[in-house]
Amino acid sequence: MIHFKIPLLSFIFITFIKYVSPQNDFFDEELMLKPLPSNHVYAYFQFTTVWETTKDVTTFQHSHLFPRGLGEIISRHNVDELHLTLTKGLWHYQKWGYPYHDAGPGAEITTWFHKDVENVDDEWKGLTNALAGLFCASLNFVNPANSVSPEYTFRPTGVVDRSAGVVDSVNSSHLRYSSLPREIVCTENLTPFKKLLPCDSKKGLATLLNSAYIHNTNYHSIGIHFRVICSNTICTKTSLELRQSVSLIYDTVTDVSQDWSIRKFFGMGIRGACPLATLSNIYIDISSNNTNQIYELVPSPSAKIVSLRGGQLNEIAVYDIRSHSSKGIFNIQVLYNTTHTAGLNYPSILYANRYIIGYGQERGSLVTKIYNNYWQTLDIILLESIPWYLPVYLHSVTITCGTKNIIPLAQRYLPGKERKSPYYLEFILRLPPQSVTKFSIEMDYSFLKWQEYPPDANHGFYMGPAIITALLPIARNYTPLPLDGSTITSSFNASREGYLVQLRTESLLISLPTPDFSMPYNVICLACTAVALAFGPLHNISTKRLVLKRVEMDWKEKLLSFLMKKIVKPKKKQE
Amino acid sequence: MYLNFIITFCIFHLSCAWEIPDNFAKTGHSNNWAVLVDTSRFWFNYRHVANVLSIYRSVKRLGIPDSQIILMIADDMACNPRNPRPATVFNNIKQHINVYGDDVEVDYRGYEVTVENFVRLLTGRLAPETPRSKKLLTDEGSNILIYLTGHGGNGFLKFQDSEEITSKELGDALEQMWQKRRYHEILFIVDTCQASSMYEKFYSPNILAVASSLVGEDSLSHHLDPAIGVYIIDRYTYYALDFLEKVEPSSSKTLGEFLKVCPKHYCLSTVGVRKDLFRRDPDKVPVTDFFGSLRPIELTTSILNVLLPVKTNKTKAIEPERKYSYVAQFPDVSKFT
Repeated sequence: MIHFKIPLLSFIFITFIKYVSPQNDFFDEELMLKPLPSNHVYAYFQFTTVWETTKDVTTFQHSHLFPRGLGEIISRHNVDELHLTLTKGLWHYQKWGYPYHDAGPGAEITTWFHKDVENVDDEWKGLTNALAGLFCASLNFVNPANSVSPEYTFRPTGVVDRSAGVVDSVNSSHLRYSSLPREIVCTENLTPFKKLLPCDSKKGLATLLNSAYIHNTNYHSIGIHFRVICSNTICTKTSLELRQSVSLIYDTVTDVSQDWSIRKFFGMGIRGACPLATLSNIYIDISSNNTNQIYELVPSPSAKIVSLRGGQLNEIAVYDIRSHSSKGIFNIQVLYNTTHTAGLNYPSILYANRYIIGYGQERGSLVTKIYNNYWQTLDIILLESIPWYLPVYLHSVTITCGTKNIIPLAQRYLPGKERKSPYYLEFILRLPPQSVTKFSIEMDYSFLKWQEYPPDANHGFYMGPAIITALLPIARNYTPLPLDGSTITSSFNASREGYLVQLRTESLLISLPTPDFSMPYNVICLACTAVALAFGPLHNISTKRLVLKRVEMDWKEKLLSFLMKKIVKPKKKQE
Repeated sequence: MYLNFIITFCIFHLSCAWEIPDNFAKTGHSNNWAVLVDTSRFWFNYRHVANVLSIYRSVKRLGIPDSQIILMIADDMACNPRNPRPATVFNNIKQHINVYGDDVEVDYRGYEVTVENFVRLLTGRLAPETPRSKKLLTDEGSNILIYLTGHGGNGFLKFQDSEEITSKELGDALEQMWQKRRYHEILFIVDTCQASSMYEKFYSPNILAVASSLVGEDSLSHHLDPAIGVYIIDRYTYYALDFLEKVEPSSSKTLGEFLKVCPKHYCLSTVGVRKDLFRRDPDKVPVTDFFGSLRPIELTTSILNVLLPVKTNKTKAIEPERKYSYVAQFPDVSKFT
């Protein structure tokens, strides 16, 4: 399946015979550029640090390539696995396929604490506060009132100890998940993200992460993924893996020309690889070339790889940055021979959307629609974490597919408590083939206390996304790395039994009944006016006496009053 | 023995090379901090964010590190969907300076900018889990620049359009800082309407206060950028920045000059100054005492030998053989059917 070319041999050499430093760690930087059928381009950066060591108290006291700031936080709070994403925009699964890392809008954080941690909530609070400081994000707003510990949706993606005498440690009581859909993502988050890299943003692929270009995209997401992986094939030793990812969707539809290049997307070419990196590669998915789109890569790639994975055939052009950048700044251009043609879109087999129905500010319904485009049934897990101020009614749950009711295979529900915990709902559903399944639940919009409303209460309240987890049987439009892989290269030709996806639906903006905050002021003004108007005449009447006063008149006035009397008198007589 | 000699040699050598700068002892402070606060939410208050970022840019350029700048921004303007150029904030229609820059660190943002958090920050009464970047870790040798901008009235400053801090509260917070020995000197700058009312109730020593307008006056904005659609900077900060852009870390410009940056025909409001609490003569205090950072560093051209620590053979406890494995990522559905 692999077309061998001479440069490829060197590429494989770099990939598989990794230089092992005395610290037993290595760093890889990769960029995947994937033109999408909708004429968008998906750019995915991954910076991977793997450190062959066990995670114990003293590990993070000295670090070589692993960012020490993050390491200290992980060690202090005894974290086994950490996933943090900061995202702006919505990923369109139908059009864009499945991303390397799923991320809901705003901030999302998932953590597995070590099984020895006694008070998970305290560590969770400490961890989120520390990460808030590290990433300049308002993660300190994560608290038990918006965190859940789902039983089925999340499994540890790292290895767990299965030695004799060790109790099975997969226990969701040590898991915390929270999403802050309101969180904004901007330069102040990207800056500390870049500082975690061994070359900072001074060398290598990270030089392409220019704030103004990164944030001028249809979708952008930065992520930190820490886990423990196997370091040998029999898995008796462990390594620590840190993946730092940046996912971007660039739009080439609106431009005059469909051509794109590294310089156009990131504002500059590549000056060279990070000297600390073992692997420093750019991949371009050229599967769509020579179908109904014909384009040319300038300069031509170092190698081409054909990847067959779960029925999906992809052709990938590989650029080794070290060999290309030796002559100076280098830029990859993709030049189209045709004008604006859309690619062929094979829609993803599973996607979902979510919306609110109902009117008024008293109650509504939450609807999640799940689409199964596959010819067989699909088992999925639906996770809904609903904020406490939107109380839901379990009896109103309806899951229908057309006219048929669907009975969930398993169901978990934890009612929310006001100001303490959210409503947690988890269902395992079997979706019929080629179907649209509709999940709906009724909810109330509750009144908050006056002080609980944010300064812009009339903007509305955000509700985090639902998460739909499935093990897809085929890998159509599928990009994520396999469980046992660390770098993008590991996803080539990685056929497995199933392909895990965790779709995020839209986050919703709900307008809760909002009081008129100026009401007390208005009442004071009105009441004071009324009192003043009443008080004045009353005070006058009660403190002043009416006394008749003789009027002294000159001859003009006398004449006038005489005439007036003559006119007025006859009328009075009539009365 | 040899190591000992090297260390003594180094110390000796350093003490020779070390010359205390002339103005070092006179300033009396040992470190510099800045607390820069924008209290306004909503897009039409873009200019307040531009104000605070202009000052941020200046203090950073003049040497205060990000770890000693507490930047509070109440709303996101840079990545606001209304911003035609994402991740940028401009304070001038010519757009030659992107004050948001490429390495900004915002410590408090959005809903975190509240009166409570501001007062807690100043007085140091924060929750134990607060990260270091959100703490004002000052001591009795710290010179602090406090810059506030937003909408104010006679005796108060609004936060987020929903709450306000009064001048009395602010005065008390500063007094608490003084009693806790949290500062050496403070330069307090406030750019709001009726700004001078904010410093009238101060009673703690060593504070020099500057306000963009007197009581009864409005602070006005400088100019509008039709591409952005809103006013982009206030007059006082515009001229203050104009002055600060010409200041270099080594320059000898004084606070006295800084106090005169915006005469009435530029600002259209009268800049108020309160000097009675400040013990030094502003005309003799360099601007860099507050806007710059004190870092007495001497370069040495001589080579120092540093010995590497001798590696000791640590006996590692033999770990019991362990077996790890990945977990199935999807629950076994067959047990439910």
